[in-house]
Amino acid sequence: MRTRTRLARAALLPIVCLGVAACGTPASVASSGTTKGPLTIGISVSLTGDFSNTGKAAQLGYELWASQVNAKGGVLGRQVQLSFADDASSPTQVVTNYQNFITRDKVDLVFGPYSSLLTLAAAKVANRYGYAFVEGAGNGPSVFAAKLPNLIDAGPATAINGAQVWGDYILSLPADQRPKTAAYPSLDDPFSAPTAAALQKRFEAAGIKTVYSQIYPAETTSLGGVIAKVASTNPDMVVSGSQDADGWAQVQAMIQQKFNPKFLFMTNGPENPVDFPKNVGLANTEGIFTSDVWTYSAPIPGNTAFVSAYIAKFGGTPAQIDSTSAETYAVGQMIQAVAAKTGKIDNQTIISTLHQGSYQTVVGVVSVDQYGAPKGSQFLEEWLSGTLTIVYPSAIAEHAPVIPKPSWP
Amino acid sequence: MHLLIQAIILGVLTGGLYALMTSGLTLTFGTMRIINMAQGVFVVCGAYIAYTLFTYFTIDPFLSILISTPLMFAIGVTLQRFLLRPIRYDAHRLSLLMTWAMAIGIEGILSFVFGTDFRGIVTSYQNTSLTLFGYQFPLVRVLAFVLSLVVLVGMYLVLSRTKFGRAVRAVSQRESAAKLLGVNTDRTAALAFGVGAATAGAAGAMFGLVGSFDPASHYDLIGRLLAICVLGGLGSNAGAITGAVVLALSESLVQAELSPEWSSLPFYILLVVVLIVRPQGLFGVRSRGAI
Repeated sequence: MRTRTRLARAALLPIVCLGVAACGTPASVASSGTTKGPLTIGISVSLTGDFSNTGKAAQLGYELWASQVNAKGGVLGRQVQLSFADDASSPTQVVTNYQNFITRDKVDLVFGPYSSLLTLAAAKVANRYGYAFVEGAGNGPSVFAAKLPNLIDAGPATAINGAQVWGDYILSLPADQRPKTAAYPSLDDPFSAPTAAALQKRFEAAGIKTVYSQIYPAETTSLGGVIAKVASTNPDMVVSGSQDADGWAQVQAMIQQKFNPKFLFMTNGPENPVDFPKNVGLANTEGIFTSDVWTYSAPIPGNTAFVSAYIAKFGGTPAQIDSTSAETYAVGQMIQAVAAKTGKIDNQTIISTLHQGSYQTVVGVVSVDQYGAPKGSQFLEEWLSGTLTIVYPSAIAEHAPVIPKPSWP
Repeated sequence: MHLLIQAIILGVLTGGLYALMTSGLTLTFGTMRIINMAQGVFVVCGAYIAYTLFTYFTIDPFLSILISTPLMFAIGVTLQRFLLRPIRYDAHRLSLLMTWAMAIGIEGILSFVFGTDFRGIVTSYQNTSLTLFGYQFPLVRVLAFVLSLVVLVGMYLVLSRTKFGRAVRAVSQRESAAKLLGVNTDRTAALAFGVGAATAGAAGAMFGLVGSFDPASHYDLIGRLLAICVLGGLGSNAGAITGAVVLALSESLVQAELSPEWSSLPFYILLVVVLIVRPQGLFGVRSRGAI
């Protein structure tokens, strides 16, 4: 009798194992969306590490959206419950975080982290489990090159298309005002380096000679040697493929080495209205360009209300709002749009709905291709009189671009 | 040629700062035979102290050293007394874990107190450069270099001319013999650890001036500092200075002349070669007492 019981247990074991394994398949893990409890959403954010400054801004955008939607009764009557985990800006930790959200916490939805580096790693995990991956801050080319069917970028433009506004502007200048030579010092990062490289390709085709093009590793602590080399080539234009801290270091090294290019465009860093002037000195920001999808004064429907709500909740001034907060807020708006359009909020509905049509968000009208890459463009900003100002395209410009860049004070 | 000389200038100036950061590590190894994995976080602590004094009390980072150095000394002595002394019976093995635990613990405290944003100490002279024969000498790096020299020379004088220095050297040569001769080895070890932390406090103020930092910055730092120590020879001050200058100079030169992608490679190739040919490092000796 005892032997038979053991045999029965032994026979049951593989069945149980199969059952457990089946729990890990996409169809059963991804939420059906029919639950009536709170709508749980797992989000990995960079609260520490290289992306911590902007990572926190991402969290604020999500929190603002959740508080607003909950005050109005939630999404399809379900209160939104956000669950955050710090990824330390690490592609390894971000994978663990989303694994935990999906398999352990069994959240209904997941939203994206900050940066292309982390978005790509995280979106693959979500795809494995059939989760939609709507994100607002990962638009480097490698993200879309992965051809993930579950990914939707809630920004209006990819990094490469977005930064092309700098190319549009430079090539719109009369030939005698255009730079003749250019340098491209870039951080080894899936957002920064490809963006600068795409601009380089376009400028070279237009006859602007490349005099320097190098990528530096993320752990580079001093950029003195890099900028010394750039300065020695004396380019008219510098296109920096930068993120935050290395962007500040580039500016500091340029000032210290008394090198002032006529045109200075940085992919990231200057768009942060608080940390950039704090770390390079407000007076040193004058004439530095960057491209972005959002600023507090951008003429986008709903933007004024967003800015007011942000200040009411978190304090500060409009000029201090990081565009990343608007980008992550837009992620929530996209989800709301799906609910309003379909009356459902499950992962498959989100994926199929957002891959079609266009959606008005606080960062503009969003429309994506089959791999979630947005089709629009960004606008060009320049630091003028201590304020980040839209300068191009002229239809929405708050001020004409000021060139050449003034000397360092 | 201009670029080459400019890169050498920047490399040597940066090397001075690395030498100051590494000197504490060397002292700790020389006296206690332990590798202090918390040296990097001590530097970051120094940067935060300077940041706080500058931001809230407008005390210049160079002046703040007068506060950060004794403060870090006290922290170092306290940590040694309560965390390292109890494990001295097996310090060689346990100290690595203990000092690493210290590093992570201090990082956690810094994150809690200051948050995890990158910070920078932006002074009015932050971006000032001195121009000499057409070459740029960033003022903060020059001042940091001079300060490093002053501290390193001071340390050398203390170790070679004072009773404390003799005690340190005696302990580093043979602890049991030093004890027999009446040296209070526990006290000497605590003071040496405190001095190591104090040099990190001074270096931290400079570190905060030349770049941005966050509580996790020590991970990058400690790897470099250990590599410098190993190249120069563990326990050797001259080795620490040489290793630091070689590291910073090679990085600067490769950044400027070749490619920033390869900037760390020559140093680590040299490190491997030195370890094969001369395992004790450039200035290290096989017997104890290198200081």
